[in-house]
Amino acid sequence: MKLKFAKSLSDKIIIAILILIVFTYFLFVILPIVAIFLRIEPSQVNAQLHNAAIIEAIKLSLFTAGTATLIAVVLAVPTAYFMATRNFHGKTIIDTLIDLPIVLPPAVAGVALLYAFAPKGLLGPVFNKLGYVLPGSTIAVIIAETFVASPFLLRSAKTGFENMDRDVINSAKMLTDSRLRIFFTVTLPLSIRAIISGAMMTWARALGEFGATLMFAGNLPGVTQTMPLAIYVFLYSDPLAGVMLSIILIAIAFAVLITVKLLEQKRFGNKK
Amino acid sequence: MIKINSVTKSFKEKRVLGNLSLEVKEKEILSLLGPNGCGKTTLLNILSGLTRQDEGNIYINDVLVSGKVGTKKVHIKPSDRKVGYVFQNISLFPHMRVKDNVAYGLKSLHLPKQEVKKRTEKLLDFVDLREYAKFYPSQLSGGQKQRIALARSLATEPQVLLLDEPVSAVDPQLRESFRLELKNYLQALKITVVYVTHNLSEAFVMSDRIAVMGNGRIEQIGDRTEIFDKPSSSYVAKFLGVNAFKGKGVGTHAGLLEIDVNGVRVFARATDGLVGKEVVATVKPDDVVISRPADEAFDRSLFNAVEGTIIEMTQMRSTAQVTVDVGFLLKTRLSLSEVKKLSLTIGDKACVRFSADSLNVFADSGVEQNFIFKESPK
Repeated sequence: MKLKFAKSLSDKIIIAILILIVFTYFLFVILPIVAIFLRIEPSQVNAQLHNAAIIEAIKLSLFTAGTATLIAVVLAVPTAYFMATRNFHGKTIIDTLIDLPIVLPPAVAGVALLYAFAPKGLLGPVFNKLGYVLPGSTIAVIIAETFVASPFLLRSAKTGFENMDRDVINSAKMLTDSRLRIFFTVTLPLSIRAIISGAMMTWARALGEFGATLMFAGNLPGVTQTMPLAIYVFLYSDPLAGVMLSIILIAIAFAVLITVKLLEQKRFGNKK
Repeated sequence: MIKINSVTKSFKEKRVLGNLSLEVKEKEILSLLGPNGCGKTTLLNILSGLTRQDEGNIYINDVLVSGKVGTKKVHIKPSDRKVGYVFQNISLFPHMRVKDNVAYGLKSLHLPKQEVKKRTEKLLDFVDLREYAKFYPSQLSGGQKQRIALARSLATEPQVLLLDEPVSAVDPQLRESFRLELKNYLQALKITVVYVTHNLSEAFVMSDRIAVMGNGRIEQIGDRTEIFDKPSSSYVAKFLGVNAFKGKGVGTHAGLLEIDVNGVRVFARATDGLVGKEVVATVKPDDVVISRPADEAFDRSLFNAVEGTIIEMTQMRSTAQVTVDVGFLLKTRLSLSEVKKLSLTIGDKACVRFSADSLNVFADSGVEQNFIFKESPK
């Protein structure tokens, strides 16, 4: 690292302290990750990848997180568009409420979902009549994940729609009277990166969902036991399987973050 | 032809346009000139239909495009008004190639593919950028982008073209040449053009007539000479950089009106009706001649001649503006070589002269318009 501007002694001391802080923080973040990787021998990886319990958890997680992300796209993208382009009374309150699950403790989210959708909850009678018992079902996992993770997409898409140059949209309005055409040919292409990166964040968050799923859906292998829940169980019964699942989740998280960063950097027209 | 009848517009509590009326003639290029924030862009947005006015009617070629007939409200969509709009910021679709940008409006006309292609090429030819058809906007210069924006806005064959400070998106050193290019395009179009700018010389270069805008209304409209020689308010005079001073009509002498300005007497060719009234007098800096007090070899009967002290000198490319305090402030413009010849410096005594004919006098409305110009017009 070149520190060109460190001239006086006090400057040098301040920079030395700063570097120390950065280094400590970096270690603090990286050490636990390294610790996990040290727990497994490369030769053990293959065996673990054939562990039926692991495969089951991975399959369930991919299915539920994928479905939750799809639902989020259907619900959150149009909502984000509405919130970004319209002004109405109470917008700030609605805006805050929609974002609430981001900061809500997952345990609270789980309890809240129970009181809303469990047989004795607010909508319990409705589901009873239909013959559905949500807690303990895969649907409950999807509901929990959608509840907790969809605001990430909403936020990202909303920022994408808001940051669009008004005059670009206005130019389109001067040339066509079809709102739908403007949305699909201008608005959407210009905000697609924000939507994709939001969807990826939502997917990653859904994949890692633990608290709300445990509280609301339960911990049944093959039905509601997603990867994080399986890790929790394996920690005592089969630590190596837990480590394997953790490594997979770390790899996914890493890949998502890199993709999101790349999406944010890319600009139009650089491709020749 | 555009007719704007008593249009008002407020954003929240702030009134942007107050009872503004304006007529733009068929096929003329009209500049809307005014300082930043005076409501020029709002007026363009209302003309285009992107913004709705609170009150008033807008007619384009005798068709009511927005307003009220009796109690019935009319508002024709922007895309149905036959209006083209080039925005201040480059507003090309960044994800589309140049040709797709230009073809965007054509595609809403439901033309056959071949026709779209033919017309796109014609439009690109018009702005001399056919070879850039496959480029993305980010690969073009500021001026090229604005030419594409112009071509795109012309695709729907508008009868009226609106341009909002199109030159501001171009690199400063290329602005002058872009201005001339743009002027050629606009003149070739032979359609009604409303050209928004805060730049005085740009307004003069681009347009047939100029409407000076301020305080949410049109302060004055006319051609270059009308506006410069006879500013109708001190607001317009100040905006144009024309000298304006307040005084009182005190009498007439040999057909001239005698005006008392802070105790200094000046004479102007103006109506007797202004005797006894508070007046505002304006004179162009170019009509004010400066000389050393020593070389007084001029006819005092034809000219107002007053002495004062030089308090400010600003050098421009080939001219200098010298401000002399003669009891009130008078700006004069002269060439740099003249400044050298007269060896003028700040603090020197100097004599300034201006003819009675060059003075423009009108009754002071008494309304003080304290508009602080963010950017001094050049």
